[in-house]
Formats: sequence, structure tokens, C-alpha cells
Amino acid sequence: MEPLTWTGSLGIVLNPFLGIVTVLFLVSLVAQTVGGLFAPAVTLQANPDGTLQTRGGVLGILELAMKYLLVAIVGGVAAYIVIPLFIPYGSAGIVGEISKRFLPVWIALVLTYSLSIKYKRRLGLYGKLFDSTVGMIGFGLVMFWVFTAFFVGVFDMIATHDYLSQVSGLKNKVPGVPVPEGTAGLTPHYLLGGDNLARDVFSRVVSGSVFVIAIAPLATIFAFMVGITLGLPAGYYSGRLDTTLSFIANLILAFPVILLFYLLVTPEIVLTGIPSYMAAFLFVFPLIFFGVLLNSRYYTQPAKRTAIMVPVLGILGWLYLSIINQPGTVIDFLPAWFDLFDISILVVFVSVVFVNAPTVFRIVRGLTLDLRTRDYVAAAQTRGEGAWYIMLWEILPNARGPLIVDFCLRIGYTTILLGTLGFFGLGLSSESPDWGSTINEGRKLLLVFAHPALPPAIALMSLVLGLNLLADGLREESLKD
Amino acid sequence: MLDTQDPILEIDKLSISFFTRLREIPAVMDFSAKVMPGEALGLVGESGCGKSTVALGVMQDLGVNGRIVGGSIKFKGRDLCEMTPEELRDIRGSEIAMIYQEPMASLNPAMKIGKQLMEVPMIHEGVSEKEAYARALEVVTDVKLPDPERMLKSYPHQLSGGQQQRIVIAMALMSKPSLLILDEPTTALDVTVEAAVVKLVKDLGQKYGTSMLFISHNLGLVLETCDRICVMYSGEAVERGSIEDVFDEMQHPYTQALFRSIPLPGADKNARPLIAIPGNFPLPHERPQGCNFGPRCDYFEAGRCDAGFIPMTQVHGNDRHQTRCLKHVEIDWSAPPEVAEKKEKGEIGPVVLKMDNLKKYYEVAANALFGGGDKKVVKANETLSFEARESETLAIVGESGCGKSTFAKVLMGLETATEGQILLDNNSIGGTAIENRDTKTVADIQMVFQNPFDTLNPSMTVGRQIIRALEIFGIGENDAERKDRMLKLLDLVKLPRAFADRMPRQLSGGQKQRVGIARAFAGDARIVVADEPVSALDVSVQAAVTDLLMEIQREHKTTLLFISHDLSIVRYLSDRVMVMYLGHVVELGSTDQVFSPPYHPYTEALLSAVPIADTSVQKKHIVLEGDIPSAMNPPSGCPFQTRCGWKSKVAGGLCDKEIPPVRMLADGHQIKCHLSDADLADMEPVIQIAAE
Repeated sequence: MEPLTWTGSLGIVLNPFLGIVTVLFLVSLVAQTVGGLFAPAVTLQANPDGTLQTRGGVLGILELAMKYLLVAIVGGVAAYIVIPLFIPYGSAGIVGEISKRFLPVWIALVLTYSLSIKYKRRLGLYGKLFDSTVGMIGFGLVMFWVFTAFFVGVFDMIATHDYLSQVSGLKNKVPGVPVPEGTAGLTPHYLLGGDNLARDVFSRVVSGSVFVIAIAPLATIFAFMVGITLGLPAGYYSGRLDTTLSFIANLILAFPVILLFYLLVTPEIVLTGIPSYMAAFLFVFPLIFFGVLLNSRYYTQPAKRTAIMVPVLGILGWLYLSIINQPGTVIDFLPAWFDLFDISILVVFVSVVFVNAPTVFRIVRGLTLDLRTRDYVAAAQTRGEGAWYIMLWEILPNARGPLIVDFCLRIGYTTILLGTLGFFGLGLSSESPDWGSTINEGRKLLLVFAHPALPPAIALMSLVLGLNLLADGLREESLKD
Repeated sequence: MLDTQDPILEIDKLSISFFTRLREIPAVMDFSAKVMPGEALGLVGESGCGKSTVALGVMQDLGVNGRIVGGSIKFKGRDLCEMTPEELRDIRGSEIAMIYQEPMASLNPAMKIGKQLMEVPMIHEGVSEKEAYARALEVVTDVKLPDPERMLKSYPHQLSGGQQQRIVIAMALMSKPSLLILDEPTTALDVTVEAAVVKLVKDLGQKYGTSMLFISHNLGLVLETCDRICVMYSGEAVERGSIEDVFDEMQHPYTQALFRSIPLPGADKNARPLIAIPGNFPLPHERPQGCNFGPRCDYFEAGRCDAGFIPMTQVHGNDRHQTRCLKHVEIDWSAPPEVAEKKEKGEIGPVVLKMDNLKKYYEVAANALFGGGDKKVVKANETLSFEARESETLAIVGESGCGKSTFAKVLMGLETATEGQILLDNNSIGGTAIENRDTKTVADIQMVFQNPFDTLNPSMTVGRQIIRALEIFGIGENDAERKDRMLKLLDLVKLPRAFADRMPRQLSGGQKQRVGIARAFAGDARIVVADEPVSALDVSVQAAVTDLLMEIQREHKTTLLFISHDLSIVRYLSDRVMVMYLGHVVELGSTDQVFSPPYHPYTEALLSAVPIADTSVQKKHIVLEGDIPSAMNPPSGCPFQTRCGWKSKVAGGLCDKEIPPVRMLADGHQIKCHLSDADLADMEPVIQIAAE
């Protein structure tokens, strides 16, 4: 087998085209920026039919040229992705083969976007997201990794080789290296080369996404539950309660995060049971949250309340017990048949929730302080509503805008935090494919072989960038009406 | 004096549009106006009619989306639209100055007052720091602020709202501008403070010979301050002329409707009922063809009024009086409005609510965290005693800080009384917090809030919010019954049933206020506290909401506690009036008793401060000095003594020493004042209607 080149025969045509177009774009961008410094300020001019007039002059032509050049670049990049799907194996190089592997993800993305854009007016804030280019790009990046994790985790698609199996002779080999005859795998090449244990880098990166996509949002949701359940009363009652809770939050925030992580995963500390007890404490908050939420809403109709609350709390309670129950730790009382799952990375979970909750607490507290002075809160008070109803049904829904935005940003932080944890090898097995651990392994030979460390780093960056852009788009669109 | 000169500001056929991604939104169309030297032009209209946009257009400060699409704005003969940014910067602040609604937002909170004032001449005229300081001192003295030197050394947050607004006016006057634009300068202030600021603006205008463009939604204020008036509706000027012409010989149906929808204290409420303007203000991109006011106009004639563009036409016989109405010659302007059937007022029943020496004190600790330091007592309510009867309207009048909100809180049970009792049907509820009250009591006493944009939860449908109230009050056996009852409540407040599924942001201010009323009556409330329910609404909507409240009161025999600072509306709808000042009830009596002499000196000042949009009314001008004292640190003796104009009549400095006792003047008319009976009898009525 021949090694694969980056773009194969497709590149003979596309590479020069894309190169020229990109150079032209950059030149006009510089020219426009410099020219814009000396040009008079732009004012909007209307045509008689009410549309906006386009700008004239050299700058106007540049603006127009840039628009077309940008379209050409995007088209070129799209061509690298689309054309390989229709030509035989190998002729489109590494890029083409990777694009082929991601085929299910592309289909899922196209479906999501076409359906969402078609029905965007009926979809509330989610639909409005498709009015913002930034939001759409961010959402695309995030959904790319979500779908990747889904197809890898559930259907075992996309990955070409087993992410743990080592193939002799492929240690630190460059991208596109052919694997020896008879090796198990879906492609006869290591698309992104081999790492220093001769494992397929591409497969490890896509497998790592499962870990990140599964843990980061879940941990963030837990952090939000804790932050909201404590932040609402702190802001609503203020006074001593607020002072105490805020002080504790500041204390946690002031403690060095990495040191905290090291402490939590130290075997001696794990043996004392502190992480288990912390898990038992932190994960009870969703239970409290939903219990209070439903009770305050339906307490006037006891029959309805019981009908709703018993199943909800039953399921949540079962999940809670399964999560905190870990064989071999201090909390180990459930019979094995009742324990739904074992989370080997409970410690990681606990630490991420623990450090994120105080920040969420402060945001919620601040928003509550502002919202509790509104007349509709006073109206609820004067008709004798309970404090928790006011907090959860009158105040919280109106604080949702900033909270949703922060939620997206926080998943990004959590992703990085997970990467950091993996980088330090905390709480995860050493062969785990998560991005942080992979970057750490690649780091050791970074100067000689950059290819094992770069793909997970780019993956991590693109996901976090996507989350940040998504948050920006949501913020922008939620302000419009 | 300067009447032969050229105009200071000449706006000719001005059109301003805002551009959004979807469409062009015309905000002002074909607007012309002229301001002569020393003249004050009032710009009146409801919110969204484009009056502030005109002001921003004059300042050439329309933002990135706004643009002047036609016409010209000439300032002293030079077209502002053709000036370079540098020339404009030169003119703004020195030749044209603007005063905004929110004084705190116009001052830099991180800079001392003196520095901000001195900046103006230092930047525009390049004068030395010393001279600038001297001038700042002079101007601050001119705006009648006490202790000018200390003022210059303080930061904006150390001053009260009225003082801040005076500083903003001082800043505008620093460079002796020839044109002053005032955009709702007193809306954020209390009535007595407003009266003082208005008088100040008027005096200064005369002293400095400044021309003014006065933007307001309050016709009475414009009558008091301006020489000429321009009425705007939906982006167009509909009528303009001198104050007398427009007020007495209006020539546009909108102006007429506007006047008919505001209560005038000079008129009888039965002979001259409030008439609300039907329909809603059109959205800027949904304006009708032809006359914008057409769909809401009584004189509308299909095929003529909606045919096409309607120009301004001169009204014969009056100087510079123009109207944008095709039919102004045909309409009989003096015809009295069609009075709807007169509704009998409900019979006033037995006493429902009784306050007995109610007191509410707050303890304020100097250091909140550790509870140490000196504790101060704020006396928010001092010995409140009164009764309210079934189907009676009791108005509670007073300015901010007078304790009316605290009283409402105690009544609702959000706070408990420090001393004294509240008796509801002879059951004491004053000491019971709301969580300990039974559902019936809670449902019986409900509240309508002031701010329509804040009274409904923005993330719940209208129907859901009313149903929630029904759930809490235990009304209805199941969801279907409650839904049915909710729809009936919407009928009660005259809203279409389809509104049940709407979100609050899809409703206009008046509609939201109606939902608020429906929610308050969900549990068949017997006592409704209405906290300035219409003050945030546009004039034309106010009348409709007020009428609705009165109608529901008639049907349900509700006791209405109407909290307001607007004495015209109080006189219009209340049976009895209670005037509060710094936690004390200074006067209580039937509406006629309170509105005619003898007055408490504070009531007298309040009455004279209310701007009245009627040229035939003669009003005594009593301007109160200073601001309302802080409740943390009330004056000794009579609470009103620091601002009272009659203090000198009481011998022996009694006002400084003793809180006056409650005196009964006539049956049910009580007053808290040291003035002798003879002095009280000498008082003249504040408002007099000139003999016609």
C-alpha cells in the first residue's frame, strides 16, 4: 500500500485554487482595513424603494470583492469535504478519507440544519439562533462533536481502528501511513498517523469525544442545580443567609483548583471517603430542586401533585443512589442488582461540580437580587405564594437568558477543565482516549512528532470555540425581540 | 422684543427613518416647526409619536440606524444636516443644549459636580479654570441650589433627584446656549419638585433669553411653560399654533380627543366624563393610508380621509395656527361630546376596613453585617387612623417617601405593624403576616401595581397567571372550571378571550394593566389597593383603565384605595381623600372638603403644583423650597415645617417644637396643623375658574 498524501489527486486542482483565493482575500482585507482608516464614516443611505444603498467607490468594490472571495473560500473547503464522498478510496488523500469517515455526521448535520431553518419561526430562542451567523457556526461546531460522540459511542461508527490496539511498526508514524497487511481495521491506513504506542491517532480523537461530550454537559447541569438551589434563596432572602453562603462560595473560589483536584484524587483522601460524601451531598441537589419545583407549583392540588411527584422523585432517587453507590468505597450499601451503573470517574465529576457551582451561585444570586424587586414578584407575594414558588416559577424563568448563555460558556470551561484533569492524569486511566490525556502523551515528543498531540488539541479548541460562539449567538439573539 | 428677527431653529418638512434589517421604519414624517428667539415651543404627544426623535434629529444624534431622509433643520440659518462632525461638536453643548429625563443618567457618577460644570466652558470657549469655576458658582446659584460651594464639591449620588436635575439644567446653561431642548425634564420628579423645576426653567428662559423646545406628554406642563405648542401623533405634527389657539380653539380631532381624555380639576365629573380614545396607537410600519388618526377618529369619512397624503393647512383667523385635518372647517368644534349613559354611583355601605393608630417603624442598623453600630428608627407610618367603607374610593395622596407604599405593604401583610391595628370586618389583621392569613383574607385584599411593564411575569402566558391566582385562592374544583372562570375575568376587563394564550410582551401597556386588574379581582377582592395604576400609561389609555376600575367597583361593591400623586384624577374619581406627608396623615376629608379651603398648607402646595391643561383656570403658584426631608432624619415638630409657607403665622415657634394634634374642622374633615381657625378661614382657593 502506498502512503496517503494529504489531499491526493483532488488536491492537484483544488490546492492552487484555494491558495490563490485565500491570498487575494487577505490582500483585499488588508487594503480595506487600511483604506477604511482614511475613508469618511459610513452612513446608511436609502434607495427610493426603501432598501439600503450599497457603498460606492474603491472601498465599495473591495467590500464586494471580499464577499465573493469569501464565498469562493468556503466553496473550496466544502469541495474538499463533498467531492471525496463520490470518488474511490485514496484518490482524495487523508482529508478526503476523514471526510468519508464522518459521513454519518455530515448527514445528521444537514438534516438538523435544514429542519431547524425550515421551522425556525416556531422554535423560540433555538429557532432565533439561526438568524445569527456566529450562532450558526458555533452550533455547527458543537453539533459536529455531539454527533461524532453519538455515532462513535452508540453505533461504533467513524473510528477506523480499535483505539487501544497497537500495531507494531507504526510507532510515531506520520499521517497517512499504511498499516501492515492483515491488521484489523476499516481502512488500510492510519489516517492521522500513530502515537508513541503505535495506536491510531484518528480513532483515539473521535473516541475521546465520547468522554468529553458525555461528561461536560452533565457535570455542568449538576453545577447549575447546586448553584441555582443555593443562589435563589441567597438572593431572595439576602441578609445573613446570603452573607454566609457568599462567604463559603468565595472560600471555594479562592482555593487553587488544581491543588483541590490533586487532593480529591489522592488515594489516601479517597479512602477517607471525602469524595464519596461530597458526591452524596452535591448530587442530592437535583432531587431537592425538582422536589421543591413541583411541590410549590402543585401543592394546591394534592392529588395532581402526588401523581407527578412520586414517579419523578422515584426515578431521580434511584439514579441518585446508583450514582453515589460505588463498590469499594465508603458508600456501598445497595445490592448489585439495584445499582444501575458504576461511574468510574465519580471523582472527576465531583471536583468539576464542586468548583463550578460557586460561580453559578453568584450569577444566580445577582440575578435574583435584581428580579425580586419586580412588581410581579410583589403580586405573587400579595396573593400569598410561598417563597419557593416565587423563586422557582416567578424569578428563575426570567433569569433564563443570562443563565443559558452562561451554561454554554461553562460547558466550554468544563471541557477545558476535563482536559486539564486528563493532562495531569487525575482520576482517569492512563490509556483513556480523552483529549487531555492524549495531549499530555503527545507533549513528551512534541518537538519531534507533533502529529499525535495536535489533533486532540484542535478538537478541544474547536469544541470550546463552538460553545463560545454559540453562547455569543444566543446572547445576541435573546436580546432582540 | 426680538420678534422681527430670524428664527433660531427652523425645521422644514423633516422626515427621519430608522433602518432595520427588515425594513425602513419612518419615525417622523413631514415635520415642520419654527422657534423664534426667546420663544418656548412645546412638543406634545403620546409615547412613540416621534417627539424625542425630533429632538435627537436636531442634535444630529440619531445613532447608526437613524437617518434624516428628507427636509432640513436650520439653526440660525445654517443647515445642521450639512455640517461636519467637528462643526456639530462645536455647536452641541455650547449653542444647543439638551436636558434629558433621567438626571442621574446625564451626570458622570465618578466626577465631582464642579468639575463637570467647569468642563463645559473650558472645552467650548477655552476659558481658564478660575473663570470657569466662577461661572459654575454663578450658575449653581442661579438654579437656586443651597450652599453652591458645597454643591460643586459633591458627587452626583450625594444629591437628591430634584437637585440633580437642577445641576443638569445648570450644566446646560453654562455656555449660555441659544436653544435649550428639554426632553421630559420633570417626569422622574415628584409634583412639588416638578413645579419648582418648571418655574426655574421658565424664569431662566426669560433671564437668559433662551429659546426652548419643551418635549412632554403632559398638556398642563406645556401650558405653563410654553408660548406655542405642536401636537404630534404617530410621527406627524397634527396641529400647531399658539397655546391659546390650540387649547381653546383646537382644530384637529386628535387634539380634541386628547383633551377629552384627561381629567380637569375645574370641571365636574358628571358633566364632563372622561372619554377614552378608542383603538390603539398604530405601529410605525402599520400606519394607515391617509390620515394616521383616521381609524380612531369620530369624524372619519371613508374615501376622503384615507385617500392619500394630507398636508398641513392654515386655520383662518389665527396666527400661525395649522392643522392636518381635511375636515377642520366642517366640524363643529364646540359641540359637546356625546355623553354615554350616566351611571349611578354605588351606594356607600358599612365600614369594611378600619385603621386604628397604625404605626410602622423600621430599625436600620448602621452596619448590616455584624449588627453593631447605632440603630436608627425610620418612622414610615405614624399613627394612621381612618375607615374605609364598602364601594367607596379613598384616595391616598402624597409624594415619594410619604409612607404610602409602606402602608400598602402593612395592609397586604408583607410587613407587620409595629403598633396599632388594622381591622378587616372587625378582625385584627395588622399583626398577621401574609403567610399566616387565611386564604379568604388574602383574596379579599388585593393590589394593582403601578408599572404595567413589570406587573406581569414575562415568561408566563396571561391565562396561566390568572389561573395561578385562582388556584392559590382555592377557586374552582378542577382545571376546566378555573379556565372558564379565567375567561370570564378576561371578559370583565374587556379583553378578548384569545389573549389568554398570549405572552405579556405581546400586549400593550393598557392591556397589561387590565390583566393586572383581572388578576387582582380573581378572588373577588373586596378591598383593592391601586398603586398609581394609570400614571405610567399614555393619556388616551388612562381614561379607559380608570373607567374600567370604576365600573368593576360599581358591580362588585369594592373598596378602592387609590394611591396617587395626580390630584386631577383623584378629584375625578374619589369619594374621600387622605393626604400624607412623611408618614403622617396631614389632611383627611371628603373630596370636596380637601379640594376647597381651608387646606392644610401641604395640600395647598400640592394643588397648586398640579399642571392643569385648561386656559380658563387661574391658579395660585406656591412653590415649595427645598426637598422632602429624609424619613431617617425627620424635622422636629411638624413634619412639614421645613417647607411650609405659613409657618410665620404660628406664634412661639410651635411648629418647630410640637407635632400638631389632629383637629376636626368639619364633619369628617381632619387636619394636622397648628394654624389658628382664623388663618385657616382666610385661605383662598388655589384653583379658580375664570368667569367666562
